[in-house]
Amino acid sequence: MKKQQVTCKEVMHHVCESLGEDLNSPHCFAIKAHLEECSGCRDYFKSVEDTIDFYRKYNVEPTKASHLRLMNLLGLKDTE
Amino acid sequence: MDEQSLILEAQAGNSKALAELVKLYEKTIYSFAFKVCRNPEKAENTMQETFISMVKSLKQFDGKSKLSTWLYRITANHCLMEYRKRKHNYVSIDDDDALISEDSVADWANVPSFTIENSELKSVLDNAIQKLSPEYRIVFLLRDVEGLSTEETGKITDLSVPAVKSRLHRARAFLRKEISQTFKK
Repeated sequence: MKKQQVTCKEVMHHVCESLGEDLNSPHCFAIKAHLEECSGCRDYFKSVEDTIDFYRKYNVEPTKASHLRLMNLLGLKDTE
Repeated sequence: MDEQSLILEAQAGNSKALAELVKLYEKTIYSFAFKVCRNPEKAENTMQETFISMVKSLKQFDGKSKLSTWLYRITANHCLMEYRKRKHNYVSIDDDDALISEDSVADWANVPSFTIENSELKSVLDNAIQKLSPEYRIVFLLRDVEGLSTEETGKITDLSVPAVKSRLHRARAFLRKEISQTFKK
């Protein structure tokens, strides 16, 4: 099989598009190989993952008061 | 009682089952609404509107999709409607080359780790995502933050799978770049 050559920019585009997706096409194998060899792209890949992770960890919950206002608005009683 | 039974009971007029359903999804919906609006009052208002819609339309819910998908859709539509009422100037993210710059890769070394107490990073995250138009923001939040599949995200936002992927790709690259630039020294 002819080895596919990919550029750093191509990897960066693809990484953004494919995080969390299945990477099984020949092009993706070439990308994986590129990632193994290119520390810049690995750093980029990691930074996109970190970005997602930051937003995942940044969680908020409704206060007790806003819960009570909601139940009151809907005319519902709290259940145990 | 499982979710399916709760839905059937609530559809039949059981208010205890309805209250259970509300409690089951209250945190998810508030959290999603907050992540879209980045404002506690707007998040509470959106949560209230979402559950009012749920109560009004629950009898029409046919169970073909998950209740959570249905609620996310109501929430997302409410948020989009609110944003469309007000004029905003969001950053254009149509230029892929401007979003993905090889020069900015090294800057990430200065970005701190996320901790609940890190208000500086939280503020950076809030500012970055608020520059994204809600159409991109909602796709990023549903797919990456809430962990829904690309297909589910498409159903909620009325977008094709390629359109979801395209928006996701640009939103991720934009947010990464914004965070990176803020911490550039």
